[in-house]
Amino acid sequence: MLKGLKEGKLWSILFNGYGLLFLTFLYMPLGLIVLYSFNSNPINMAVWTGFTLDWYATIFGGASVEGTFDAAFTESPERIFEVVKNSFLVAIFAASISTIIGTATAVALARYKFAGKRFYQALLILPMLVPDIVLGIALLIFFVGAGFELSLLTIIIGHVTFLSSYVFIVVSTRMAGMDTTLEQASADLGAGPLTTFWRVTLPQIMPGVIGGFLLGFIISLDDVVITYFIAGVGSQTLPLFILAMMRRGLRPQITALAVLILIFSFVVATIGLLLRNRKP
Amino acid sequence: MVFLQIASVHKAYATPEGALVRALDDVTINVKNNEFLTLLGPSGCGKTTLLKCLAGFEDMDGGDIILEGKSLRSVPAHHRPLNTVFQNYALFPHMTVAQNIGYGLDVAGVKKPERDRRVGEALEMVGLEGFGGRRPAQLSGGQQQRVALARSLILKPRILLLDEPLSALDRKMRESMQIELKNLQHTVGITFIFVTHDQEEALAMSDRIAVFNHGRLQQIGNSTEIYDTPANDFVANFVGTSNLFAGKVIARNNGLLIVETANGRKLVGTGDRFAIGDSVKLVLRPEHLRITGPDEPASDHAISGTITDAVFVGSVVRVHVDVGFGRTAILHQKYDRRGLGSALNPGTAVTIVYSPEAAHIIPEGA
Repeated sequence: MLKGLKEGKLWSILFNGYGLLFLTFLYMPLGLIVLYSFNSNPINMAVWTGFTLDWYATIFGGASVEGTFDAAFTESPERIFEVVKNSFLVAIFAASISTIIGTATAVALARYKFAGKRFYQALLILPMLVPDIVLGIALLIFFVGAGFELSLLTIIIGHVTFLSSYVFIVVSTRMAGMDTTLEQASADLGAGPLTTFWRVTLPQIMPGVIGGFLLGFIISLDDVVITYFIAGVGSQTLPLFILAMMRRGLRPQITALAVLILIFSFVVATIGLLLRNRKP
Repeated sequence: MVFLQIASVHKAYATPEGALVRALDDVTINVKNNEFLTLLGPSGCGKTTLLKCLAGFEDMDGGDIILEGKSLRSVPAHHRPLNTVFQNYALFPHMTVAQNIGYGLDVAGVKKPERDRRVGEALEMVGLEGFGGRRPAQLSGGQQQRVALARSLILKPRILLLDEPLSALDRKMRESMQIELKNLQHTVGITFIFVTHDQEEALAMSDRIAVFNHGRLQQIGNSTEIYDTPANDFVANFVGTSNLFAGKVIARNNGLLIVETANGRKLVGTGDRFAIGDSVKLVLRPEHLRITGPDEPASDHAISGTITDAVFVGSVVRVHVDVGFGRTAILHQKYDRRGLGSALNPGTAVTIVYSPEAAHIIPEGA
């Protein structure tokens, strides 16, 4: 009995230890980048020389790097602002269009019967499974072939092709959990299909729709591979911009930029999770 | 003109295994105006499917539904002058009680002042004054039920369809709602078509009952007709308890028939559409059987047997009597507060008697 208890305790310690190690493994790199972004050492960020907010300041134009070692590696606030603006424009438009397409598709597939429905369903999930690099090349070939000039518009169209699948899946889950008698009740009370959609179906699946939008927004915001192929010269997004900066070495300004993106993603994800857990 | 004609409606489903299930098989019912009609049957008998065909949620494979001379076949649900009270009430969770009740008027374009006034009246009708601002989730089952009723009745439908609306309520609540619903139907003067699997509920509320099994209409009639003169085995067993004795008609005498059972027992019963030699069944209700002593003279309305069980169920004692040839008769003996006594001990030899008019005869295997 006593031995059994001890054994149980040992296992419990081991399991907790394992859990702790796993979390460390997950979060240590993120912790390090946050730490580095506050390190004043401009040459070697792995050596701590003191706390500074300078790197953040360079992003917002609050500090000058003229004449310092990092001058050659630091991008101007104007340039950063431009690529951030590009990224947000793409993410907002791509996520909005995808949300409309994905939601409409999810509602149609959940409520209407038609020939080839299952095949269609499989086709919708496929863009998520196609390797990004293949999708990127395919889109590039398509845009060039169709005579599109690569720009923010092509990025938006490209993102919509696979983001719609994500929204479709998120909203479909919500549709599957919805009580179909609510829609019958609405029809029974004299509401046509459109009124029923706006006044009964949409409010019921709203958390899923917003969740799908936020997911699409975040994925669009940090997509590198596909965007790399379909971005034009004047249409750099933030991830592509950071990638370009990285070619000149990992500089402290990049860590500060990365932390800001991290915080933003974290906030969006939290909103998404809160909405998802909210009861219909 | 017939108010509502349900004319040889057919509906079949394919199960996932590929088998064809006839949910509605040639169902014909003429419904009268202002009638309280109950569709009664076990689950899967087709009663709910018929209700969905009426509401317009299901398409018929064949037949027609004609309301006041107009076919509803191609009329979509939202244009039918019928409203439904759903089994789970289907109240809109994101709307208040008042918004739920006013929904139908709102989509019909009734302006807010008029709508508010009528919602107020509807709330009053179902006894929920002051509940308009609440959400459905804040109401009890019985209150949600009333909101569902008010939401449908406010539109003054030609017919109100009710899909087992009382099944989620507890027994006491259910019984009071039965009376309330019946009274409500009288007050509003609207035809109610009520679906239930509960035979007591059906008997208590209905003007007429339509009994269903395996997608077929078994019998339609008022409560006493259904109970006293069931059309077949299924109705006899589903509505109330029945003792069935199979046999052949061997003699007729002034509307009374003599039936000879397999073991040569001769029993009398009532029935007029049978000829000598027909295979029939005698239906005896437990309350029509009476126990007498073993020395009761043998007759064509007496059956001898042995008590196997006596169960006290409150108002009566339910007695099981082995009457030979593998049959057990169930009868109800009045309970008179003197204990069960030794007269009902298992093993006691008794004779069961009944009056010949109480034995209803149905065709064998119908």
